[in-house]
Amino acid sequence: MMISAIVFGSIAVAAALGVVLMRNPLYSAFSLVVNLLSVAAVYASLDAHFLAVSQVVVYAGAIMVLVLFVLMLLNLKDESEAPRGWLKITVASCGALLLFSSILPVILPAVETLHGDSVSGEGQLVEGSVLAIGRLLYSEYVPQFELSSLVLLVGVVGAVMLTRKQSSDPSPREGGLLGGGKS
Amino acid sequence: MSVYGLCIILSLALFLIGAVGVCVRRNAIVVFMCIELMLNAVNIAFVAFSRLHGGLDGQVAVFFVMVIAAAESAVGLAIILSVFRSFISVETSDVSELKW
Repeated sequence: MMISAIVFGSIAVAAALGVVLMRNPLYSAFSLVVNLLSVAAVYASLDAHFLAVSQVVVYAGAIMVLVLFVLMLLNLKDESEAPRGWLKITVASCGALLLFSSILPVILPAVETLHGDSVSGEGQLVEGSVLAIGRLLYSEYVPQFELSSLVLLVGVVGAVMLTRKQSSDPSPREGGLLGGGKS
Repeated sequence: MSVYGLCIILSLALFLIGAVGVCVRRNAIVVFMCIELMLNAVNIAFVAFSRLHGGLDGQVAVFFVMVIAAAESAVGLAIILSVFRSFISVETSDVSELKW
């Protein structure tokens, strides 16, 4: 558990750095796929098997296919001719390092103390099985579950509305870049 | 150090990498992918704390975050597509019509 968390966690961090540093957006997208898969492996090493599977299916399957589809539809060139804003990069990474080194000493001892306190409680209910999560989802979280289906419906309708061709004339395929796209 | 502390470090690192990406990158789709990265970082923290407490509520929260992320990706990519249709670019620096 510890070994696999270390291995896949470092793969996830390396792939996340790849997402930010790659100049071609397509390479960033593939790097993000590697990151999502290794995060799924981290979930599996934390005994959250259902979440690991749904991470692979939803994120690495559905969402990344959508992103890659849009990326290839737009046919972008990489940013290699545009100059990098070094000042912005320096300020952002210094701020991130400052935040990292100021949050970590606070939260890490708290987590270790919590871990030391709850050693007796650990192991009683750690199984992230589909059965246990489904029971919880359909008993205690029913309103949220129904609300999330409503959110998905509104999202789909909104996506279709946003990508619809703007002109009011009904004649299809009449010029225009990406005209007639129905999401 | 326990595996939970490791997961918190991982979560914090991924979140900050994503935040730097959102600040630094100019391609809107890469900014979008960095937002997905930050959502994943929060999910790791949820799963770690849920395992630490011995309950499953954190995993249910992660499930809902995934649902919202799916809806967000559909709407966000639709917005990026319609921005590309009117500006022929997805560089965030090109889309500055509202700048004073």
